[in-house]
Amino acid sequence: MNERDVQLMSSLIDAIGEKTNRGMVLIDAPYTQFVRINLVLLKGLLEEKGNGGVFISVDRPHQYMVHLMRMHQIELDNITFIDVISRFSGNQKKGQAKVDFFDGPFHIDSLPLAFDDRTDCNTPGLLELDECGFLMIDNISALQIYNRNPAVELFINNFVMVAKTRANVLIPMVIDRQRNQSLYSSAQRLSDLEIKVSHDLSCVTQSSENPSPRQVSEMNFSKEVVN
Amino acid sequence: MSNQPKMKSERLDLPRITTGIPGLDEMVEGGFPFPSVILLSGTAGTGKTTFALKYLCEGVLKGEKGLYFTTLSEPTQWMLRYASQFDFLDQDYFGEDIIYEDLGSLLMHPDSDEILSRIEEKIAEVMPQRIVIDPITVVGGMLKDGYRSFLFDLTTRLKNWNATTVVTGEVRPDELYPPEISYAVDGIVLLILSEEAGARRKYLEVLKMRGTNHITGRQSIDITRTDGIVVLKARF
Repeated sequence: MNERDVQLMSSLIDAIGEKTNRGMVLIDAPYTQFVRINLVLLKGLLEEKGNGGVFISVDRPHQYMVHLMRMHQIELDNITFIDVISRFSGNQKKGQAKVDFFDGPFHIDSLPLAFDDRTDCNTPGLLELDECGFLMIDNISALQIYNRNPAVELFINNFVMVAKTRANVLIPMVIDRQRNQSLYSSAQRLSDLEIKVSHDLSCVTQSSENPSPRQVSEMNFSKEVVN
Repeated sequence: MSNQPKMKSERLDLPRITTGIPGLDEMVEGGFPFPSVILLSGTAGTGKTTFALKYLCEGVLKGEKGLYFTTLSEPTQWMLRYASQFDFLDQDYFGEDIIYEDLGSLLMHPDSDEILSRIEEKIAEVMPQRIVIDPITVVGGMLKDGYRSFLFDLTTRLKNWNATTVVTGEVRPDELYPPEISYAVDGIVLLILSEEAGARRKYLEVLKMRGTNHITGRQSIDITRTDGIVVLKARF
């Protein structure tokens, strides 16, 4: 990781702040930089903030992020991967990290429920939320390739609700606002903090548009609101 | 239900990155899909390396990192010696914004797994948004038997990184593109040198671009010091 990446990591962690240890942090960043943002976020959360966490991969198999983390010497001891894309592509090769495989990215209506089941405190050995400080999805926009927009918006609501009620953790969510205004607006309604990353990654600013913590609505798996 | 077919109006446009080649983006709905693997094919002297360099320089202007793999064992300064003739290329890009990696030494005693590992290690280290492999066909000459499976592995892996890769392929004058790789890539752009009425003319043709309603047919191009390759007569 070069000096610019380390600077980006520090800026992101500073923007998230010492006091923000739970709730949803919405990060507006260029889509071409999602992997870099995810990687520096993981380094910052795992090593700077000392949190363990869960990383859900819906865009590309988890092995790629494991490979990246190894290459950049980011510790893997305190992270669990949930791979939603590999079963879809018939690839369940493990990437030398803690990993669980869920159904494909077109089953997002069941993903929050599956996560809920896996985090059941009566079922030891699954996801240990006591040690979980954050819950991330690699690219939420990728779900729009396989699902209708209202389903993805409903998923975000349900996912954030499960995360908040089950684990009460930090939920960083990276979306390119310019490219995906509708999805960004949906996530914005649920976010507790907004951060903008400039196009060249040189500037990270906290947005003042959304100062108060937001409430998610009841989890709803039975209907999809179509406007 | 989420598994119902998506309506046309709900379709999310593919993310794209601009190519930096004047006139080409308009032919491919705004740029190359991101991520994807694009084959750039042409005979010697058609401008493949010029195209590739302009593509990487365009990325630098947008805050994106580039990774240039050469298979020719050519030192950076030798490549820059010629490339510096183009106004669009700032030599300061190399080293920080564009990383130049020579695969030539690996091809002396080629091992496809070793080549793939080196490529992936470098991609993981640099985390580029734009990658060039120039030219891929040299690897074919060295690997021989394992070339097809190597290309399949290479393109599969490249598609999973967060980057759009341009691989160049050199062909003989009677070939359009190297057939071994064409099935595995998401797009094929041809650079064509044609002899017409005693003069050599250059053309660009987008033969294939998945997920893209692209302009078909040959378009005249020019190579200028200011912009590199320029598409002259795209019928938009």
